[in-house]
Amino acid sequence: MEILHNMGMGFQTALESVNLLLCFIGVLTGTLVGVLPGIGPMAAMSLLLPTTFHVSPVSAIIMLAGIYYGAMYGGSTTSILVNIPGEAASVVTCLDGYQMARQGRAGPALGIAAFGSFIAGTLSTAGLMLVAPPLAQMALKFGSPEYFALIFLGLTTVTYLASGPMWKSLMMAALGLFLGCIGMDVAIGATRFAFGIVELFDGVGIVPVAMGLFGIAEVLLNVEQSMERSILTSRVRNLLPTREDWAASMPAILRGSVLGFLLGVLPGGGPLISSFAAYAVEKRVSREPERFGTGMIQGVAGPESANNAATGGAFVPLLTLGIPPTAVMALLLGALIIFGVQPGPRLVAEHPQLFWGVIASMYVGNAMLLILNLPLIGMWIQILKVPYPILFPLILLFCVIGAYSLNNSITEVGIMILFGVIGYFLRKLEFEPAPLILALVLGPMLELNFRQSLAMGDGRLFFFFERPISAIILFIALLLLFMPLIRGARRRGLGPQEV
Amino acid sequence: MNRDRVSSFLFFLLGLFICLYSLTYNLGSPMAPGSGLMPFLCGAAMCFLAVAGFTFTTLSKRRAETEGPLFKGQAWQRSVLTLGALLALLLLMKPLGFTLATVLFVGFLLRAIVPQRWPVVILVTLLTAAISFLVFEVWLQAQLPRGPWGI
Repeated sequence: MEILHNMGMGFQTALESVNLLLCFIGVLTGTLVGVLPGIGPMAAMSLLLPTTFHVSPVSAIIMLAGIYYGAMYGGSTTSILVNIPGEAASVVTCLDGYQMARQGRAGPALGIAAFGSFIAGTLSTAGLMLVAPPLAQMALKFGSPEYFALIFLGLTTVTYLASGPMWKSLMMAALGLFLGCIGMDVAIGATRFAFGIVELFDGVGIVPVAMGLFGIAEVLLNVEQSMERSILTSRVRNLLPTREDWAASMPAILRGSVLGFLLGVLPGGGPLISSFAAYAVEKRVSREPERFGTGMIQGVAGPESANNAATGGAFVPLLTLGIPPTAVMALLLGALIIFGVQPGPRLVAEHPQLFWGVIASMYVGNAMLLILNLPLIGMWIQILKVPYPILFPLILLFCVIGAYSLNNSITEVGIMILFGVIGYFLRKLEFEPAPLILALVLGPMLELNFRQSLAMGDGRLFFFFERPISAIILFIALLLLFMPLIRGARRRGLGPQEV
Repeated sequence: MNRDRVSSFLFFLLGLFICLYSLTYNLGSPMAPGSGLMPFLCGAAMCFLAVAGFTFTTLSKRRAETEGPLFKGQAWQRSVLTLGALLALLLLMKPLGFTLATVLFVGFLLRAIVPQRWPVVILVTLLTAAISFLVFEVWLQAQLPRGPWGI
């Protein structure tokens, strides 16, 4: 009964006119950035964050969350019609989605992607609603060592799952942790590594860093490439899947929803890993695995459901523990902190309107997305035809406006451009920036809990292993950290291994 | 030139700088860690990872993949021009005002990177300046810099 009462309160908040409008703007923007290759939800959320300073925290988070799950919907359109993923989590949709489009079945592919996303999004929101409150209750018993261990596990998992050699992703995490140290030391009030720059006294802001690393760097890399893209010109028909399509897709949608939600909850999981995992599962359970990649509808339904379900799952650790499992969630955490809301186990009790309002808005947003993605598919195809050489100056301009309006400061724009250049070279050198963003946000929390734990344990590092929960979590984290070395040792004799 | 070895060397230098600079803050004791401890640990981790990366790149089969120039076969001049335009916007935004600086910035990029026809350049530039002024300045009251002409 309590959950119904809470959901009633949530819907009351979500259905307020301003929240409905912002939810619509969020999902519309999300679909747009999902459709357009070259700008992802991270850049779009950082860009629009300063514009939310005029509204309440709940309205702001409703809009930002809408961008995130909206991008998951939009990404499939580009994958299916252009064979270029609109955003990272739709990479795998290209494999069968584009083949379906080439066979004249773009309509059912887009349709099942939208319906699958809707079903998965709704199911994962229900999962979030059921899992988050008891988890938050349990997390109230956590102390500094447990929090330190959880944050450490989050960072380790992200670096473990990042692409490329592990030393590179660990390097990004170390750099992010260092950047998190810049500015005021919260324990004693002294500034560190600010070099007299007033804007750095409060620390390096996540928004200019994220916009630089994900927005500016992406554009700098894209302008170097050929900007031509061929869009399927044939008319998209029959968006509503047939009975056979439904029969083939429904199990894939349900499997993708469960898998996506579970992987979304795990630190480092996120939509990208979920979509790949769902594709692998579909291939494994199929009676015709050899036909995957030739236009199997399950190859679209599974991953598209999984990446949407993962967005709901990712909210669980953010809202209950205050620990973001992905870089996008780190940005949302940053946004909540800017608004003076401390995410964590007390959030459900202290800000019920925000917690339940955001959950209810996800149901509303998913319904809006279904409407946006099916009847308006023609509009998204037209937008896809806007040439990138015309689009990229606008993306850069919006990044500049976004960074400037944070504090009405040119220095923030300078920091964003600096991180744009850093991000450009990092990507050229095959360093993935996601662990850096996550570490930047988690750094101050990690440091605070580390210092508090050391003080609690009279300076003994073993104190972390004397408490069962932190010991188990740290053991898993250390296992992940040394996994490449363990694997290397097991394969010794086959030559040096990649770390 | 091996890109991974160059990057690990640069990260080593950065880590070393962070370690040494952290010493100017108090490292503290295990019971009462000081301000310098965390950045020191980060710097030390970066140095360690850089050495590990350098070693593994040298020993790895992947070494050949990371050989060669960074910009081979790519129009890197476009990135330089785009970056130059961004820096110019940064410098001109205050003296010229946001709207005029936007016109110059968007117009330059539309002509310089993949040259568009003049009518397209003029239309997109003016529309962008007008819409961004209306949305950010008027609607969202973002207080963007104003030039001598009040816009």
